[in-house]
Amino acid sequence: MVLKNIRDWIVPGVLLMLFMIMPEIACAAETAMVADTAWWVWVLGLFVFSFVLGIVAVVAGVGGGVLYVPIVSSFFPFHIDFVRGTGLLVALAGALSAGAPLLRKGLANLKMALSMSLIGSISSIAGALVGLALPENVIQLSLGLTILGITVIMFLSKNSAYPQIEKPDSLSQVLQIYGIYYDEHLKKEVNWQIHRTPVGLLLFIVIGFMAGMFGLGAGWANVPVFNLVLGAPLRVSVATSVFVLSVNDTAAAWVYLHKGAVLPLIAVPSVAGMMLGTKIGAKLLTKVHTNVVRRVVITLLGVAGLRALLKGFGI
Amino acid sequence: MKQQTVHADKVQLAYAAILSKATTLSIVFVILGYVVYIFQLLPLSVPIEQVSENWHLRASEFHQHIHAPFGWSALSDFGKGDALSYISILYLGAVTMFCLVAAGFAFLKEKNAIYTAISFVQLLVLIFAATGIISGGH
Repeated sequence: MVLKNIRDWIVPGVLLMLFMIMPEIACAAETAMVADTAWWVWVLGLFVFSFVLGIVAVVAGVGGGVLYVPIVSSFFPFHIDFVRGTGLLVALAGALSAGAPLLRKGLANLKMALSMSLIGSISSIAGALVGLALPENVIQLSLGLTILGITVIMFLSKNSAYPQIEKPDSLSQVLQIYGIYYDEHLKKEVNWQIHRTPVGLLLFIVIGFMAGMFGLGAGWANVPVFNLVLGAPLRVSVATSVFVLSVNDTAAAWVYLHKGAVLPLIAVPSVAGMMLGTKIGAKLLTKVHTNVVRRVVITLLGVAGLRALLKGFGI
Repeated sequence: MKQQTVHADKVQLAYAAILSKATTLSIVFVILGYVVYIFQLLPLSVPIEQVSENWHLRASEFHQHIHAPFGWSALSDFGKGDALSYISILYLGAVTMFCLVAAGFAFLKEKNAIYTAISFVQLLVLIFAATGIISGGH
């Protein structure tokens, strides 16, 4: 058992070492390379990178936005303002594309999404305004800390597929947040309800603020709050998270658009690459070892978070 | 075999219908706009090389150096390739608002006062962000 666990971490471990060494090499070559490289090479590279990221994100079960911002801001020459603006659009486009089937199947719950996103979208606007006003090193520093925090959450979190809620809270009853869906795994209908709605609302204020500030899709936080705090089934949590994300990211994206922090030259290849990669990733899902990919992603996130932290300290 | 029941209510189906169409349209717009932009099928406000020479700058500094279209001002440069690509992204930002209009009216039809109110207040929040008033809109 222990040996198996160690073996599972060998690939991510090697990757970690490589990425710790790579920045030195990258930095030395960076200045000359950025100046000499034609724009279309960066654009094409960004498309290919986003495509790969899209595949990896689906297989690892994470949102593309959370990977996009720390990694692209570490390895591409664009200012983090443009990377965050694009990160929001990447997450938004993904959420919009995934949305309709989830609603039709009854997996996503619009009432739960709207209740949480109303408050979350206001705080994401505030987060975007604060994020674009802060100095770059403060953003890098706080992004690094946030990404490292997300890495820990992803490493430790254990979702609950079908939480048992004995008694729903009164606010959730007033807001009519309950439902029924057909579970293809169990081959039966599952009734669900939630509790601790006020706590969930407070947490969505924080999540919205962070999503707006860093341009991260917030599925990494939405899902645990829906599932572990409110007690919604995992499938409902994942599906409903997509809608919260589409509303919150729309609100924050408008701030970035009006601040000039979106460049079509960067945004479109990223969105297109990520969406294409997501579709391929969904087809590969049953054929690859998702646990290994998930560990690689957690490692990559950890390294990207560490790099952002070091950048924030001016190292 | 047990028949799988659809548990989505009418409001969800109305939201999904608009979402599906508006998203497909936005993807087509975004890709077409970008093709027009990078292949320079229309004249540009700012040459692509100039954008790439300055994309390492903060957004505010970037726009002090070059006058690339952004915010609603892009509409006044409609005939330019870069503005067209930018406008297609603005449309992407509007998709959720179209869906909320559909949801708001569907809730109203069901006489669900709470969610009619929540949908329209949410719509107002997004419209407020889209106007650019709070972000010093352009």
